[in-house]
Amino acid sequence: MFGFGKTVPVKLDKDLHERVRKIADVAGYATVEEFVAHVLEKEMIHFEDAKNDEDIRKKLKGLGYIS
Amino acid sequence: MLQSMKDLLSRRRYGAPVVIVSGLPRSGTSMMMKMLDAGGVPIMTDHVRQADVDNPKGYYEFERVKDMEKDPDKSWVRDGRGKAVKVISWLLKQLPDDSAYDIVFMRRDIDEVLASQNKMLKHRDEADATDDAAMAEAYRHHLAEVRILARKKPNWRMIEVRYDQAVQDPAAVAKSVNAFLGGRLDERKMVEAVDEKLYRNRKDGLTAPKPA
Repeated sequence: MFGFGKTVPVKLDKDLHERVRKIADVAGYATVEEFVAHVLEKEMIHFEDAKNDEDIRKKLKGLGYIS
Repeated sequence: MLQSMKDLLSRRRYGAPVVIVSGLPRSGTSMMMKMLDAGGVPIMTDHVRQADVDNPKGYYEFERVKDMEKDPDKSWVRDGRGKAVKVISWLLKQLPDDSAYDIVFMRRDIDEVLASQNKMLKHRDEADATDDAAMAEAYRHHLAEVRILARKKPNWRMIEVRYDQAVQDPAAVAKSVNAFLGGRLDERKMVEAVDEKLYRNRKDGLTAPKPA
């Protein structure tokens, strides 16, 4: 999953990192990185979800704010 | 010092910034337009959308804004330099990069926004099948995207204004918006433009307006 040369470092607050490390351990993730990547992937889906955009567009059209 | 140098360079490149009042629909954008109008900012509006029960003081809209997703010709935006124009948050990404934008971004509790939007849809006899919880989540992600975009755009400056604060302490909000826009506005008139009675869709716990 984390191929050599294909990762970049991300800085986390120390306290947050400690909390993440504990949860990753309890939840059975092999590494903190794996846990963080999984959480980010799940969250990114919301941003990339075209259905969200369609819902918003439909609502704004109904309200008369877009044509 | 650094900011004023940046402003000077931006002005040389783009001319006077277009003042954009933005936010989700029903987040106080019309109220902010009214404040800016009262404070002395020229307003870009065509008065096509008339005042109604949802916006008794008027919408301050410019019809071409609504077509921004479909209409490739956005040259009219340049006519807004030195003026204020209302552009809902969804359409901000359509702003062309040949102008600078000072964006006054209205924030309001999303549950209040949705309650107000749902009332408006009823008044307009529009069907609405979207679930409020899903819509709130979609709006939250949309707002995060707007913030990310604002950080990326070198020709955007943005101030966020909370609607409840604007109603409850208009003097403080007028002061900060005036400072953001260069300090030439009439703050007293901006404050007078705020009508607390129009803050109708409130969450529990907020003080209800006193009867007139």
